[in-house]
Amino acid sequence: MSKILESLPMTIVAGVVLTVIMVIATHQINNMNQSGVEKAVSDIQKKMN
Amino acid sequence: MEDIIFFLVRYLHVLCGVMWIGILWYFNFVQIPSMSKIPAEQKPAISKVIAPEALFWFRWGAAGTVLFGLILAHMSGYDREALTLQQPEIGFGMWLGLIMAFNVWFVIWPAQKIALGMVEADAEAKPKAGRRAMLFSRANTLMSIPMLFSMLSAQHLAGY
Repeated sequence: MSKILESLPMTIVAGVVLTVIMVIATHQINNMNQSGVEKAVSDIQKKMN
Repeated sequence: MEDIIFFLVRYLHVLCGVMWIGILWYFNFVQIPSMSKIPAEQKPAISKVIAPEALFWFRWGAAGTVLFGLILAHMSGYDREALTLQQPEIGFGMWLGLIMAFNVWFVIWPAQKIALGMVEADAEAKPKAGRRAMLFSRANTLMSIPMLFSMLSAQHLAGY
């Protein structure tokens, strides 16, 4: 970890990677938080779009 | 009236945030990479004058950002949902901001006081403290990228 933090470019790359991980985690948490009915409605809306 | 207070709190949150992250990026993008290029006799200008002044606004900017951010979240009614990640879009950003502010006050500032000679410490402790402050400052720079993404996307990229 300290190898990454010693390099500014590597720190920025790691920040972007962490952002991508956060976006994926956000999607997963939102999917888990949806109730069965909400998920069904959301799936239908996605299909309609 | 409530709208004006709400706006003022958001405005102060952003002002303090710009102060905090602006100085964090100044340290990491400008000061730290430039130190090796500065002649030895000129280095005290950084370590004795500029860095202590920057650290003052840096740590109080962090405190103000967190204070007004928490008030804003409470006024908006999403503080509990965000911190328990039931609203992860803003929740991740809040947690990253809190971890970063903790680093500022309880790791970077105490280490910088030793590194800059603002408190009594033996000669061996100074370079160790300087390295600790630099690494945690870099860790905050790393976390600032997803933190700012979270803060902005929660407001301006709904349902990403």
